[in-house]
Amino acid sequence: MIKPVPPAFIFILGAMLIPLLRLRGRLRQPYLILVFVVAFIDLLYLEPGASWVYHFLGYELVFAKVDRLSLGIGYIFVIIGFLAILYSLHVREDGQHVAAFLYVGSSLGVVFAGDYFSLFAFWEIMALTSVFLIWYRREKESLDAGFRYVLMHVFGGCSLLTGIIIHIVSQGFTPVGLLGGGLGSIFILIGFGLNAAFIPIHTWLPDSYPQGTVTGSVFLSIYTTKTGVYALARCFSGADVVAYMGGIMAVYGIFYALLQNDTRKLLSYHIISQVGYMVAGIGVGTALGVNGGIAHLINNILYKSLLFMCMGSVIYMTGKSKLTELGGLARFMPVTCIACIIASLSISGGPGFNGFVSKGMVISSAAEVHKPILELMLVLASVGTFLSFTKLCYFTFFAQNEGIRAKEAPLNMQLAMMLTALLCVFIGVYPKVLFSVLPHYPVHYYSYTPSHVVGVLQLFLLAGWVFMVARAAFSPHEGIVLDFDYFYRMTCRGIVWLCTVPLNGLRLRVQAFFSREVASVARLSRNPISIPALTKQYVHLMTVQILKHNAEISQNRRMELEHMRSKFREIRKIPYNENTYRGPMGLGILLALIFLFFYGLIYFLAS
Amino acid sequence: MPRYLKRLFFILIILCIPAGFLTQHEHAVFLWHKIPSADAMFGVLGALLILLAIKIVASFASRKEDFYD
Repeated sequence: MIKPVPPAFIFILGAMLIPLLRLRGRLRQPYLILVFVVAFIDLLYLEPGASWVYHFLGYELVFAKVDRLSLGIGYIFVIIGFLAILYSLHVREDGQHVAAFLYVGSSLGVVFAGDYFSLFAFWEIMALTSVFLIWYRREKESLDAGFRYVLMHVFGGCSLLTGIIIHIVSQGFTPVGLLGGGLGSIFILIGFGLNAAFIPIHTWLPDSYPQGTVTGSVFLSIYTTKTGVYALARCFSGADVVAYMGGIMAVYGIFYALLQNDTRKLLSYHIISQVGYMVAGIGVGTALGVNGGIAHLINNILYKSLLFMCMGSVIYMTGKSKLTELGGLARFMPVTCIACIIASLSISGGPGFNGFVSKGMVISSAAEVHKPILELMLVLASVGTFLSFTKLCYFTFFAQNEGIRAKEAPLNMQLAMMLTALLCVFIGVYPKVLFSVLPHYPVHYYSYTPSHVVGVLQLFLLAGWVFMVARAAFSPHEGIVLDFDYFYRMTCRGIVWLCTVPLNGLRLRVQAFFSREVASVARLSRNPISIPALTKQYVHLMTVQILKHNAEISQNRRMELEHMRSKFREIRKIPYNENTYRGPMGLGILLALIFLFFYGLIYFLAS
Repeated sequence: MPRYLKRLFFILIILCIPAGFLTQHEHAVFLWHKIPSADAMFGVLGALLILLAIKIVASFASRKEDFYD
């Protein structure tokens, strides 16, 4: 029987083979799908426990630590990756597929890593490969956003590595698991938190995701933040600071989402908000909280990627991404419109859709551990999510816009959207399938209680009524809204100014000073014998100049000074001629003997 | 929005509020869990609070598209 391999390696090998096989057109598409099918079959055969263990520099590297948590996340990563690649089948650039495969592979590497070093290695591969999904858009904004993305992730990676080293030095080599307090844990939390888009280190997300390629943004919306949440679930489950950070993220995300005009930027802020729910559940730390957080992670991957697919289709078919330029697309793109409505109801947590189940679990877990502020924050975020997606659907598909014409997206895109929408509804009406992959099993939670269903309906209907009444206040506007990245950008600009103006000025002065001195030495070295004569002349000249500086100088004196200057210049110009200064050899020997005599005398007297 | 959808929407709003009185929170922990139809109140107040918050944020943080260029 073939031993299953860590799924990360299947994707990494699959990525390497893409340029080697040079598959074209119809052959490339089955190959891309085949890799995901092989990875899924491989997952089915992975057995619980740690395998693929290697000893490296005295440490144990574990590439396949399999338990309910990693396996559940692994399944959803591969399933949604399959749907995302189905959505991307029309892309002809091999580079995009290679980047996507390496990104998916390294994300799975993080999920199944059993030790901190292999986790860190996959973590960094993930950051460096995902940026190509932004750069492949080949626009200036994308290149700039990609560089900012890399800078932020390098900061996160450095923080994570610092934390891991401190942790290992203080506590020894431990497998990836719950971390206590200490400096190492703080650094690791910052590293994980950056990927999970903790406020205020979240700015890379809304900055870069809207700049990705149409298909690349679908992949981006799935993996980076979710691996951050997974890592938090492994190491920081039950930490109060994490729970409240989740609440803040949930609220902060919807405030900013409602202010956006760019559709993909709006979705990016919603990633922060939705990840906030997951982080809150994990921070609560009870069985219901962790299950809720992971259930929300799985559901979020489905509806968020579906939303990015829908908006990607809109951009692909219309070339427009701003709400102020869109409207009335329901007539032209009915499949995309229906998929977007399903995704919107799912993310809002409408009854019958997957978000209803997991959002309810997270909010109930906050009540379970008596955290009223957290519960209110999550409820408020729920209202905001509904408002935001009412706005998105209305201004994209239903608002009047006579000037827009479009066709429905290509078949592969429609198919991917329909399958993902189907999964959202399937999990919504049959949550047992979701519960079966959660880390704490069996799950004692009943979603469809009368009070929950009625409560959510009340929340949405009344919030919807406010939207109807104050629709103008929610309407999109041109322009951007400053976020924390303003401070980062201004700090970076300040550093650039400091380097280019004062520090560079200082450098130029120092350089000019040394250049002058070097030039003088070089000039003198042409005829070192003239140094005494030059020194004598220079001292004479300077003395006369200083003495006569303030006094009235007569014509004769002035001529005398000028004469001295010209003499000084003449001496400087005299080239070295060895024949002029050549002495007999005996003189050299005599000088050497005198030197040796005095050296010996000093040595004798000193000893 | 078509008129029949609007009517349906308002009928649902009118129906959902008394429905809240008929359904009780299974595991009431906080005070608002015990208030009937508290979620309807949260829906209105939450939407108004969000509207106020985004207007405040927009008033000092809105800039032109090319602000960073």
